[in-house]
Amino acid sequence: MTQEAVPEDIRKLARALGLDRLSESDLQQFAKAARVAETRRSVLQTGALVPSDEPAHVYRPR
Amino acid sequence: MTDPAFLGVAEAAELIRTKSLSPVEYAEALIARVEQHDGALNAFLRFTPDIALADARRAETEIMAGGWRGPMHGVPYGLKDIIDYAGLPTTGHSAILKDNLVSSDAVVTRKLRAAGGVFMGKLSTHEFALGGPCFDLPWPPARNPWNRDHFCGGSSSGSGTATAAGFLPVAIGTDTGGSIRNPASMCGVAGMKPTYGTVSRRGVFPLAYSLDHVGPLTRTVRDNAIVLNLIAGYDPHDPGSAVQPGWDCEALLGRGVEGVRIGVIRHFYTEDMTADPEMSAGIEQALAQLVALGAVVREVKTQPLQQYAACNRTLLMAEAYAVHEKWLRERPQDYGELTRGRLFPGAFVSGAEYVNAMRMRVRLADGFHRLFDDVDVIVTASAHDPACRIDDPQAVEYTYARQARAPFNLTGSPALAVPTGFSTGGLPLGMQIVGRPHGEAMVYRVGEAYEAATGWAQRRPPLPV
Repeated sequence: MTQEAVPEDIRKLARALGLDRLSESDLQQFAKAARVAETRRSVLQTGALVPSDEPAHVYRPR
Repeated sequence: MTDPAFLGVAEAAELIRTKSLSPVEYAEALIARVEQHDGALNAFLRFTPDIALADARRAETEIMAGGWRGPMHGVPYGLKDIIDYAGLPTTGHSAILKDNLVSSDAVVTRKLRAAGGVFMGKLSTHEFALGGPCFDLPWPPARNPWNRDHFCGGSSSGSGTATAAGFLPVAIGTDTGGSIRNPASMCGVAGMKPTYGTVSRRGVFPLAYSLDHVGPLTRTVRDNAIVLNLIAGYDPHDPGSAVQPGWDCEALLGRGVEGVRIGVIRHFYTEDMTADPEMSAGIEQALAQLVALGAVVREVKTQPLQQYAACNRTLLMAEAYAVHEKWLRERPQDYGELTRGRLFPGAFVSGAEYVNAMRMRVRLADGFHRLFDDVDVIVTASAHDPACRIDDPQAVEYTYARQARAPFNLTGSPALAVPTGFSTGGLPLGMQIVGRPHGEAMVYRVGEAYEAATGWAQRRPPLPV
């Protein structure tokens, strides 16, 4: 199967994250993960949140 | 007497208490069964017959001296290999941790040992409870006892396989997006993801802190309740720990479902994501059975399944990436390919996205919990498809996301997977019964009544030799 070239911005991001030991096929996976993340981002409808919506996991002093 | 391989916890406990069953003979029978069949199923990553026999001999001596401790005394169990057992490695089914010898027990292990359980070994998982089924790890993936060419679900894969195959009456698994209930549904056993915080996570390797749950897989609902009662409890050192005073998940067993109000979320499996027709039919037949038993069933609606799934995955990916970031930088080649591919999306979740997903989680959970103003439990799908072939990566990838379990990791609700029959191909079908937070007793009540009326728990897989 022909693999797409890994975009340069994805290579730069991997390096910036410290992922500088990835093989070329790992980088292919990393590029695919960017697309997966983008798809997920477009599904979750966070537009209706208002500033008073608190997150679920909050710090509790012990 | 029932074949020792298929004795349940309750039945075995009574035989052991009355000295009609020797824990040593019981352990020997299960050891022989594992030795005969597990070469084809790979349920065990680390089989420990020596420990099992030592535990069984100790239990037998204590019981013969009048020191019966309770229902797990002399009863075999296994642990998913992300759960610590002192003196053995906890590998996470990964080359990364293959020599990770641990010196203390997880809290859940400590409770089972204190109860006199007989430890049979560490059970296969997906790599770090995430990447699987994989064939590029140090150990092979577990296979489905109903048809070894098929996937057994995951990530508590060995837990589901071992329980269904009659290797153990109980296995402990973990569940972050459905990983107890998936193998339970694929293997035709009962699997409970209890309310978030019910069982301590201390000594369990994390996948995603805010979504991780520990719970039992058993062949019957009653056994599941017995074991959960034993392993539950507040742990001040687990920041998510939350158990209500007086909580007793066996309290409503045996009461039937006369008058119980059941809501069904059909849109999860008929509109949002259409389930396999046999899976849907199994749920509808189960609902008809519950009505015949006296329950009142009505349809209820919540947000689309995709909203819950996207929220769960955003949180899971971000938290899992945080756990694995150092190893992904330093030794990425030591992960299986599938695991790396499932971890990488976490690198693309921004801080704001994570916080917003946590805010969405509250909205989704609040809306879901309001459904219980009008119903006592909710029924919906578990898996949307029967188990696919284990050697078909595209089918695994397709079915991996086709499930309705992740919503209840977000809401923290107790959710029990129970079998609803078999496909025409002979593979198990299943559904979920979901309760209010800390409402495990009602969930088990409904599950037990349904199970008793159907007999699915009495079916046995035709094991390969």
